[in-house]
Amino acid sequence: MNILSCSINTLIKEGLYEISGVEVGQHFYWQIGGFQVHAQVLITSWVVIAILLGSAALSVRNPQTIPTGGQNFFEFVLEFIRDVSQTQIGEEYGPWVPFIGTLFLFIFVSNWSGALLPWKIIQLPQGELAAPTNDINTTVALALLTSVAYFYAGLSKKGLGYFSKYIQPTPILLPINILEDFTKPLSLSFRLFGNILADELVVVVLVSLVPLVVPIPVMFLGLFTSGIQALIFATLAAAYIGESMEGHH
Amino acid sequence: MANSIMASSKPLISLSSSTQPTRVNLPKSIKLPQIPKPISSSSSSSLSSKALSFSSATVKSLALIAALAPPSMAEAMEKAQLFDFNLTLPIIVVEFLFLMFALDKVYYSPLGNFMDKRDGEIKEKLASVKDTSAEVKELDEQAAAVMRAARAEIAAALNKMKKETQVEVEEQLAVGRKKVEAELQEALASLEKQKEETIKALDSQIAALSEDIVKKVLPS
Repeated sequence: MNILSCSINTLIKEGLYEISGVEVGQHFYWQIGGFQVHAQVLITSWVVIAILLGSAALSVRNPQTIPTGGQNFFEFVLEFIRDVSQTQIGEEYGPWVPFIGTLFLFIFVSNWSGALLPWKIIQLPQGELAAPTNDINTTVALALLTSVAYFYAGLSKKGLGYFSKYIQPTPILLPINILEDFTKPLSLSFRLFGNILADELVVVVLVSLVPLVVPIPVMFLGLFTSGIQALIFATLAAAYIGESMEGHH
Repeated sequence: MANSIMASSKPLISLSSSTQPTRVNLPKSIKLPQIPKPISSSSSSSLSSKALSFSSATVKSLALIAALAPPSMAEAMEKAQLFDFNLTLPIIVVEFLFLMFALDKVYYSPLGNFMDKRDGEIKEKLASVKDTSAEVKELDEQAAAVMRAARAEIAAALNKMKKETQVEVEEQLAVGRKKVEAELQEALASLEKQKEETIKALDSQIAALSEDIVKKVLPS
């Protein structure tokens, strides 16, 4: 019986793998000066950056007093970003709007590009084009930037007094407070990475099993999750920055 | 998929971008005897031939090996790395920073400033509107005051006129009354006179009458 189940298991895995053509952890490598890079991530990230810059520049080129269409949308987005920053950081949120906003927009457009743009049309020699955020490099890069940002925020606001937060409320919590600086980027990056990768995998596997109708709700769920993940990342980054800037007594 | 995730044997966080990619060596270590596909698939898929798969020891061992490492997976796994950190990470950092500054230049700052300016203008206009409303209130009060003054004036004039007419009326009344009284007096006086005259006449007649009566009664 055990053997049977084993072999069936193998067959399913093998069959599924061949049918769906899921390429997990496959990368299209480029060599840059002896270093390797994941070309598919870079290509899609360039597309995302081009979309963001292009649409923003086009809509905001000539702002009108009474906004219409694109300008209206971008004003709404800016209001939203400012609102998130202000809620999390407080009154001194102004300088952090570009950082929080770019985090949100980059992750959001990346996630949705993975779900909405037909990347699969472009064949790569190895690996496949997908959302930039389903590569661990991207998410860790963003999470590390967040860490740097909140350290910078704390140090520029309070100088070396910033480090006194490690022994508050009591010095006993010192190890836990230090540990937090490692868990924050770790959880940020893995949450985003895991969600987006899992979402794309679920959609691909479902499409390979039932090509019609059934995957559609999951795709919508994927869009929803993608948006939420972008919001969560931006909100948490803002919260960390606000936390390191708030006054201790 | 679960296999592939677990099989990526790189440590989770190794930020040093290693020049040579560390290969997953699980699939390599187990070299598979190449079995013709039709046989393996038929032996495992046809559930009806249980006897065959249970009896033959070779199929048993083959299935076990196949379970450990499916052949087509093995080739794919060679390069499959989920947690593969390399130069992509710093490049993404640079790209993100570039995007941040570029978006700040074309989007956040211009549109933000524009929106703030418009907000200020609207607030100013609103404030000015509020000011005019105060002005309107003042004018309203002035109008009310003017009205009150006019009303008071009218009332005063009315009172004055009333008093004057009353005095006049009383004067005329007094004059009339005097006239009437005078006439009354006159009439009364004439009446008295007539009365006296009549009484006098009566007196003289009384004397004559009484003489007549006496003559008649007393035969002389």
